[in-house]
Amino acid sequence: MNDSTIDAMCTNARVLVTCGTGGVGKTSVAAALGLRASQLGRRVCVITIDPAKRLADAIGLTEALGNEPQRVSIDSIGELWVTMLDVRETFDNLVRDTSPTPERAREVMENSFYRNLSRSISGTRDYMAAERLYELSNDERFDLIIVDTPPSRNALDFLESPERLARFLKHPLVRLLVAPGRGGLRFANAALTPVLKIISNIVGSDALTGVAAFLRAFDGMENEFSRRALAVAATLRSNATSFVVVTAPSADALNEADHFVSELKRLGISLKMVVANRMPPRFGATTSTAEHLAAASSSGDLAAAHTLLAAMCEDSERATLGIEGFIARTRGQFADVPAASATELPSDIHDMASIAVLAQQLAAPQPRQ
Amino acid sequence: MRRFAPTLKGLSSFMEPHHFFTAQRVLIVAGKGGVGKSAVAGSLALLAAQNGLRALLVSFDAETIAVPAHERLEKVVVTPGKALTDYLASKGMGLISRQLAKSGIVELVATTAPGLDDLLVLGRIKAFEKELRADVIIVDGPAAGHAIDLVRAPLQLKRALASGPIAQQADEVLEMLGDGSRCRVLMVTTPAMTPVQETIEAATELRDDVHIVLAPVVVNKCEQDVPTINTSGMPQELVDAYAYASQRTQAQRDAIATLHSSLELPQLAVARRRLEGEELVNAIVEDLVAAIETLS
Repeated sequence: MNDSTIDAMCTNARVLVTCGTGGVGKTSVAAALGLRASQLGRRVCVITIDPAKRLADAIGLTEALGNEPQRVSIDSIGELWVTMLDVRETFDNLVRDTSPTPERAREVMENSFYRNLSRSISGTRDYMAAERLYELSNDERFDLIIVDTPPSRNALDFLESPERLARFLKHPLVRLLVAPGRGGLRFANAALTPVLKIISNIVGSDALTGVAAFLRAFDGMENEFSRRALAVAATLRSNATSFVVVTAPSADALNEADHFVSELKRLGISLKMVVANRMPPRFGATTSTAEHLAAASSSGDLAAAHTLLAAMCEDSERATLGIEGFIARTRGQFADVPAASATELPSDIHDMASIAVLAQQLAAPQPRQ
Repeated sequence: MRRFAPTLKGLSSFMEPHHFFTAQRVLIVAGKGGVGKSAVAGSLALLAAQNGLRALLVSFDAETIAVPAHERLEKVVVTPGKALTDYLASKGMGLISRQLAKSGIVELVATTAPGLDDLLVLGRIKAFEKELRADVIIVDGPAAGHAIDLVRAPLQLKRALASGPIAQQADEVLEMLGDGSRCRVLMVTTPAMTPVQETIEAATELRDDVHIVLAPVVVNKCEQDVPTINTSGMPQELVDAYAYASQRTQAQRDAIATLHSSLELPQLAVARRRLEGEELVNAIVEDLVAAIETLS
């Protein structure tokens, strides 16, 4: 096989999803995979949910761009585009697309509950990430979408969010709130009315009235909503979507990576690759830590240099052991899943050049671990 | 450097852990993933307990780092669902709340008032503070981005709801958040440019938007500075290794300097350890003691 595993994945996938905990360089890896795929001739769009500012700067993203993908000017035969998720704009577009009339869309968007909801709650963000993925995967400008999930333990929530929203909209209490106006809630389903009263006691009647108004304005749109939600879910679970778990060699990162692997297994999603990022570099493959330690016992600069290198070798060995353990555990759940690794650069990723270095490392033939 | 016995209270110019902790009753520990926030929060709670204070460590999920047991240290997990149930119980609706939890209504309620789950969690912490459940409450907060959402939730809810029980709860929580003698936020970062810049952004927002008083910043996972070595004439691998390590040292220095000049907050340096669990927490405690002594 001439192609590296990364190249094969970058050539064939329609959607790539990177997941991992914070601090492992997940967004950088997403950008590097995007760069690599574009070098292989693909038209790639990378969606990031909440990028660190420095990285956003590195790939040419600024907040002012909103949802519109931005082309990165790089020298490659394909194209690399990047975009940041704008929850509000995505939700607005969705409302416009699914509402039967422009008036109805405006009614929903002017609702105070909607205005709060579309900005702040995290569940909305998960769902909008999935919705945005659906839009972009149907956008003819791109043939590969790379999704950088949020750096949280619950990052995979977004996979289930479309179904969750569909369920929510069909919830009996929600249907009850939607039940056409006549006298508001008073004539509604007798069995559930006390429950609404309790909610009203908790959140205040203003809030509940706002929600009811929102859901009524929304009525009739939920079927289309649910349809799209299920389409997103289907895309995410199909063979065209590849999941990549990114980790670093630290103990806490590896624990979280184990968690992501188990989550994917639980969700019935196959894992295409694991990436060990931020590995300490190994200098001098021919000499052993023991030799450096022996040389370090004298004094002077040479001894100091050997001491330093001995410590770095030890670090590298510890990291390799940790990653090997993780890969073995992962292969217990996903047999033969390939692994790629990249070393920690001397300073953190802050421009396209350092992303290119990362891409090159990932695409290099990997020693079989 | 420990030049005075800790018992010489008042004679020394350095700060003792006891004073560091009693400056406020609630310390919310925030930082992005990978900086070691939970380990630092656990260490702070343990250190407070070791200094004779009753410490309460609040975390948001059960999967937190192992903290060595101490007779004065209590740990509690607060989740939005549980906070809602507690809130309802306090309003005399305990029985109903259990039924509600089963019907999935908690989700509906949380959706009805976005940010309510965050407010409920903060409300629970405020209740601990009010009832003097401990001398110091250490909150192992959510990741940096979400920490801002968390403390902003009461502000947003107040804008959306003019009156009612939620608005009142939001008011009470805001009062606590804005009072530096009751509550402060302690940011945790690592000495690299990306986390440092995120810390600066988060800290500025917390200060300007929510009027939070910030505690010193913990700079975790600091690497030892590489000594100056003249590598000329040495084998290539030594030259390369030294060049790499020197660049890392310089990058760390730059990040710390940026943090210092952008946020005028004292820094508490904690060394990077290749340890896990209780051993890690104990090691961080040692560094924190030394770092707190340097505060005045």
